[in-house]
Amino acid sequence: MTWGRFLLLRLAAAVAALAVVSVLVFAATAVLPGDAVGVLSGADTTAAQRATLRADLGLDRPAHERYLDWAGSLLRGDLGTALVGGRPVSDLLADRLPNSVLIAVLSLLLVAPLSVVCGLVAGMHPRAAADRAISTATLCGVALPEFVVASLLVTVLATWLGVLPRVSLVPLGGTPLDTPEILVLPVLSTVAVGLAAATRLIRTAAAQVATAPFVEAARLRGVTGPRLALRHVLPNAIGPAVQSLALVTAALVGGTVVVETIFSYPGIGYELQQAVANRDVPVVQGLTVVLAGIALVVLLLADVVARLVDPRQGRHP
Amino acid sequence: MTRLAARAGVLLVLAVAVLGPLLVTGSPTEQVGVPYAPPGPGHPLGTDALGRDLLARVLTGGRVVVTLAAGATLLATALGVLVGVSAGLAPRHTADLLVRVTDLVAIVPAVLVMLVLAAGFPGSDLAVLAAVTLTTTPFSTRVVSAATRAVAGSGFVEVARGRGDTPAQVLRHDILPNIAGTVLTDAGIRFVAAVHLTATAGFLGLGRGAPAPNWGRMVQENLPGLSLTPLPVLVPALLIAVLAVSVNLVADDLAARTAGAT
Amino acid sequence: MTHHIGRRSMLRGGLVAAAALATGPALLAGCGSDADPTPSTPSGPPRRGGTLRAALVGVGAAETLSYFHGGTNLDFVRARAMHAALGNLDPTAPDGVRYEVLEGIDVSADLRSYTLRIRPGLTFSDGSPLTARDVLYSLITPNDDPRALGVYKTPGRNFDLAKAEVKDVRTLVLPTLAPIADGRLLLCQGNYLVLREGSRFEQNAPTSGPFRLTTFEPGQGTALVRNDEFALPGLDGAYLDGLELRNIPDSDARASALTNGQVDFAGDLAPITARTLDGDDRVVVTRSESPYVSGLFFRLDMTRKPFDDPRVRTAFKLAADRQAMLDTVLHGRGVIGNDLLSPGFPGYADGIEQRPFDPDGARALLAEAGARNLEVTLTTGPETPGMVEVATLYVENLKQIGVRATLRELPAGQLFADFPAYVKLPFAASFSVPVPPMPLYQVSYGGQNPSALGWNRPDVDALVTKARSTADPAEANRAAVAAQQAMWTDGNTIAPVFKPFVTATVPTLRGVREDLFEQFPGFSRASLR
Repeated sequence: MTWGRFLLLRLAAAVAALAVVSVLVFAATAVLPGDAVGVLSGADTTAAQRATLRADLGLDRPAHERYLDWAGSLLRGDLGTALVGGRPVSDLLADRLPNSVLIAVLSLLLVAPLSVVCGLVAGMHPRAAADRAISTATLCGVALPEFVVASLLVTVLATWLGVLPRVSLVPLGGTPLDTPEILVLPVLSTVAVGLAAATRLIRTAAAQVATAPFVEAARLRGVTGPRLALRHVLPNAIGPAVQSLALVTAALVGGTVVVETIFSYPGIGYELQQAVANRDVPVVQGLTVVLAGIALVVLLLADVVARLVDPRQGRHP
Repeated sequence: MTRLAARAGVLLVLAVAVLGPLLVTGSPTEQVGVPYAPPGPGHPLGTDALGRDLLARVLTGGRVVVTLAAGATLLATALGVLVGVSAGLAPRHTADLLVRVTDLVAIVPAVLVMLVLAAGFPGSDLAVLAAVTLTTTPFSTRVVSAATRAVAGSGFVEVARGRGDTPAQVLRHDILPNIAGTVLTDAGIRFVAAVHLTATAGFLGLGRGAPAPNWGRMVQENLPGLSLTPLPVLVPALLIAVLAVSVNLVADDLAARTAGAT
Repeated sequence: MTHHIGRRSMLRGGLVAAAALATGPALLAGCGSDADPTPSTPSGPPRRGGTLRAALVGVGAAETLSYFHGGTNLDFVRARAMHAALGNLDPTAPDGVRYEVLEGIDVSADLRSYTLRIRPGLTFSDGSPLTARDVLYSLITPNDDPRALGVYKTPGRNFDLAKAEVKDVRTLVLPTLAPIADGRLLLCQGNYLVLREGSRFEQNAPTSGPFRLTTFEPGQGTALVRNDEFALPGLDGAYLDGLELRNIPDSDARASALTNGQVDFAGDLAPITARTLDGDDRVVVTRSESPYVSGLFFRLDMTRKPFDDPRVRTAFKLAADRQAMLDTVLHGRGVIGNDLLSPGFPGYADGIEQRPFDPDGARALLAEAGARNLEVTLTTGPETPGMVEVATLYVENLKQIGVRATLRELPAGQLFADFPAYVKLPFAASFSVPVPPMPLYQVSYGGQNPSALGWNRPDVDALVTKARSTADPAEANRAAVAAQQAMWTDGNTIAPVFKPFVTATVPTLRGVREDLFEQFPGFSRASLR
């Protein structure tokens, strides 16, 4: 398969997936009972006023028309306007997305090297003491739901010891980087879960490579320790490793609802939750599609990297 | 040793979750004392935020988490086998595309799906079940289709087909027995994910609301009183953790044995 | 940790459900906010300078500067900081109100015309004068806006704004729709702020309040600095240099932000949060007192079986273990309710006997009504801390009188989100805001209000109208008490407990209570020592 064909196929699949996701999310938010009019109007709003409001928002038209309208605008680069608050969705994204991406990037910066090292150490010698320790630790890591980890961190580090801020207040007019201490607890919470997951995936890949004949051969030649790991195992395990990290990254960007809620961190997950509660379809749609798009790009990049680094990939039919 | 502990852990927590409601003598919703009371006579774990017996709530609060997670796992695995096997046996390009798209649909955050469904069907545990199933299925599909492809490509399916076996026979005698181990292991991993999601649903206030006890929800309910007494938060959190760790260990063990067998 | 999705709909709905929102605290003359001054408030003259950081409940990125649309605590606190009010309720002042933008209100003898006199020399933040036209604009604007909260439409329901007359730059005459005696209190209840004529809440629009906006980040917070143009007799501008209002939706998180030194003020705390803060010498906890308390109550639809039978309604009222709810949910800090809203306000019928906790009596009444094996579902949601908890305990109380009661808890923000659906629920929870009894009755129970749920008593409606339009206080009070006696006996409201508004601050902060209207704290007189 040539590079051109490879990329084309991957892109086509990504676009198809994006379309599927957006239809599913739209269907779910549009078909379910209730809409934003209920959120926007109060008790004394008459039925006629509600109807006017519904028409103003365009919510009285059939769902498929609304979806096609939305999709058409999207193709022109217009994400629409929030029903509640009336802000352009792109504004909201510009405000909140960088904050969520920041958490994801910082977490990845910690997760990537740590998980590769831990995964290699454990995978090189399955069932050795180091493997047991790492496997047990990561096992506990993946076993704890994010909200439990975050709640425990808050309780110990913020409420009891008071060494870190309990709430991630971003300075008004500034960015989270102006007060880096507010990032520590959210990043720790996501790292705890992401690191465990990535390490386990990489360990499995490394363990498979470590039993391959060519690694045995290298061992017999007297190559051991870090040299064996870096020269022989890592290059062959890196494909799966990159894929694992990509999956974890996608989950990091998309799965921040819990952490952002607990720390009142102004990110995309928190807004998503609000938008769903408000039945603000354009916001839910816009955020979901952008989130999915980012995850798709990450997975695509991972595919490309995996193809580049894995000498065998190119030779496959 | 670990294997034993893991199995013991699974059995213990499952027993608490499933049999717990039968052991409860008092009501898990009735107020029996002051809120956040420490352990004392009659209430071995103390009381919760509303002065209800914590032990009674712990014993009754696991069933919903475990049954929802188990139900979702069963459904997701069944769907995963259905789609995965078809994809695994389909012509390569069709299969690739199918798997790829399923794969990509899986990137929609599970919590989002839960939020959306719960907004439409407030207070419904079925919405949580549906959300967990929907978000879990793509992962199962992927694993099953890969396993099916490996078996289908291994030669003896060709032989069976050459013998003139019908596709149904091939499926029954050659494919399914050979992917059973993988499916089982995968189901274990999916179950852990499903436990997380159902507990998180409780924590976020989705699914059946008060006063029904639910380990995830109990963590959330009692968090404000953590400085008064930690047990109402720690006990349910610990049970969720032990359940997940031990199921993980059992799944790992299964995976190792499956790998050893093939 | 409390749920906090969709606070917008929470206040929007809660206020309406309670009372279609504060109409107008009538009959307040002579009432004292009996709250003691905070014991550890430092003494001496207020110091100038400093920036106060306050944590409040707001919404996410859907936040706008239009307080007509935003129903959160943060929305109105921000509005108070930016825009001056006509006046605030002050039981110690001669008219029962402390005028702000207004110098005074003259009422005609027939109670049909109100003349608003605007204080001389007031200016907006750009130095332009504040006139009668601005005041009229501010009262009219929300009237035709379907998205505006009900409270802002109240003047339009009592005064004929279309016939209002601007006599000169400092004089505005408002004719009433029907004679009312309590119009001063209605207009000066703190909710009516002054915008410049034509203002559309643009970020750089000139404003009339003690602070002016510098940064607005929807969902995150607002930064303001002192408005040097703002001055009232005895108050030469705010003491603070700056004010930061931050959105922290979770009660526990607001409290921790305070103890961690991230903010100086934490508003609207949950009862359990307040309890964990009591005794912490880094902070001062303040609880509002009656009448400034919020009722956690339940309402029955009288048009539906079995609630059409007064004996069933009374049985349901007798079943509530009010003391247990107070002790458990409010940790002992609150007011026991007597199934009437607005306790502590003048005009509240505090002479009516307290309804006891009497499960035996309740069972007997149910038996008498032939209501055996009743099955009821109580719908509630975490719209304000304590709401689900009180409902949970109440369902247990109902089980004890033999009713097969179940609780249906909706996710945060959904209970009031679809209001027509909410009023169709036969049995549901709600919460009230502090509003005096008579205006509240007119909005929630009088006429054919859908939220009256079958309460249809023209005789009581007439009593309430009389109470509001009678100039003689004693006579007005007699009518008010008679109306409430009818509500107590036959009504469809079970109001077991009222909870205070709780704030916590750093010990150096003072002067917040002096700004009145405490549930939406104002900072024009606040100072950090």
